[in-house]
Amino acid sequence: MSTEPRTLLALERAVVGYGGHGLLPPVDLALAVGDCWALIGRNGAGKSTLMRSMLGLQPLLFGTLRRAPQLRVSFVPQRAHFDLSVPSRVRDFVAGGLDVGWRFLRPWLDASERSRVEAVLEATDTATLAAEPFAALSEGQKQRALIARAVVSAPQLLVLDEPTSAMDPLNERAVFALLQRLCRPPGRDNAMAVLLASHQMGFLPEYADHCLLVDKDLGVLQAGSTREVYASAAFGRIYGALHLPAPGLGG
Amino acid sequence: MSPQHAPPELEEFFSNLELFGDALWAGAAAGALLGVLGVYVLLRNLVFVSAALSQAAGLGVALTFWARAALPGLLGGLDPALGAIVMTLMATLFFVRAHDHHDAHQDAQLGVAYLIGSAGTLAVATRIVADLADIETLLFGSAVAVLPEDRDALLWTAGTLLVLHGVAWRGFVAISVDGDGARVRGLPVALLEVLLFCSLALGVSVATRVLGALPVFAFSVLPAMAAVKLARNVSEAIWISSLVGIAAATLGYLAAYRFELPVGAAQTLTCLLLLALASVAELLRERHGHGHHH
Repeated sequence: MSTEPRTLLALERAVVGYGGHGLLPPVDLALAVGDCWALIGRNGAGKSTLMRSMLGLQPLLFGTLRRAPQLRVSFVPQRAHFDLSVPSRVRDFVAGGLDVGWRFLRPWLDASERSRVEAVLEATDTATLAAEPFAALSEGQKQRALIARAVVSAPQLLVLDEPTSAMDPLNERAVFALLQRLCRPPGRDNAMAVLLASHQMGFLPEYADHCLLVDKDLGVLQAGSTREVYASAAFGRIYGALHLPAPGLGG
Repeated sequence: MSPQHAPPELEEFFSNLELFGDALWAGAAAGALLGVLGVYVLLRNLVFVSAALSQAAGLGVALTFWARAALPGLLGGLDPALGAIVMTLMATLFFVRAHDHHDAHQDAQLGVAYLIGSAGTLAVATRIVADLADIETLLFGSAVAVLPEDRDALLWTAGTLLVLHGVAWRGFVAISVDGDGARVRGLPVALLEVLLFCSLALGVSVATRVLGALPVFAFSVLPAMAAVKLARNVSEAIWISSLVGIAAATLGYLAAYRFELPVGAAQTLTCLLLLALASVAELLRERHGHGHHH
């Protein structure tokens, strides 16, 4: 039996960009089961373009995107992406994440899907909010509901775009702790891989074992362990003024 | 002095249902269908797309009348509904392209399309004096009677599209609420987009041909606005919007008869009245602390 980590998604000599114009240097990387990757960089550095390309929402200009067969992916966009005028209780909002592939053709949820929704509401501490309108939630509660919607389909890879933006530090930590709990359930080996874009440089190393640093203006695209990337010259050039503490071991 | 004109009584209306039944059925079918489609129009901020589509449908019908008058030998049998469908589909393709490419000034493009539709219809109308009454019907929905074949066309269109939406509503909601998320989860987003826009184009064009642009625009926006105020989730909003559409079409027609108003205007005003009632209900619910907190 192979002891190699199972690769879910890989980029090979991949160049991302728009209109034939590459934004970032070519990148090789592989996301494996259980990995937690942080995608970091300044605003407008190319994080979203890289993330959208990895999700297949935008074609690569060059290189290859490989996905494991039947890979289940969920994407959590920024909270502002959702129109709050759309009527939706938290339970309905979470259940919307069950629509994978052609499953939407079944107009109603079956018993196993309903119990899956209830289990995820419990796991994300949103069960008491299930009957509340999504629009009425606090920012931290909304983010928990978004994560619940994403994990209800049991994805193997969870991609999050700045999940803690516009959040107070306590809620930020709560969201990261929730992600860690969901992605690496104790005593189980069916961990899911995570890729998250974030600006929380201070405590990202507590959660992310790998890091992708991008900056289109400086032509930087550095991938590796969080410790390596935080120790790199490129990181120092971009974030040196923040005087961040040296990261501990990732994960 | 002329003798005072007594307004018609509703008893007369119900005793002459064979005269008005087709119009009632046609209005109810359009209200039900456009109520459902209106929820997606609202979710996707396509309100002015709907307005522009109904004008495009009107222009398509007007052009067909003109072509029939200009070339009676060749095009004398051309169905105006065909012109409405073709123009609406062309306008839909234009809007989808602008939407997909995130074109700047999308609202300005919609304005241009709306003006081409409405001004074009009026300009063409001056060339087809014989069918001028039809053009007025087309723009303002002033028709009291509906032909049985038009009623059937509307019932078939509404029935078919409502079955499609009954089967695939979860997919249409998924692509309307979170298109990127739906694409990542492997939903057939492109197919659902085509089906949604084609059903909007077909529903708007057939209903415009039969009822006129004004009530069609009203049915495709106002019931959904009322429903969103009352519903707890999108599936409830779809049901409520459809029922509000049926109620507005039927009560509006009765009001037009009773108060001697143009049908399209009466149906639009009834939609507005139901929207006002929904707003009051929402306000009362919020005061009791169980409402949405938008």
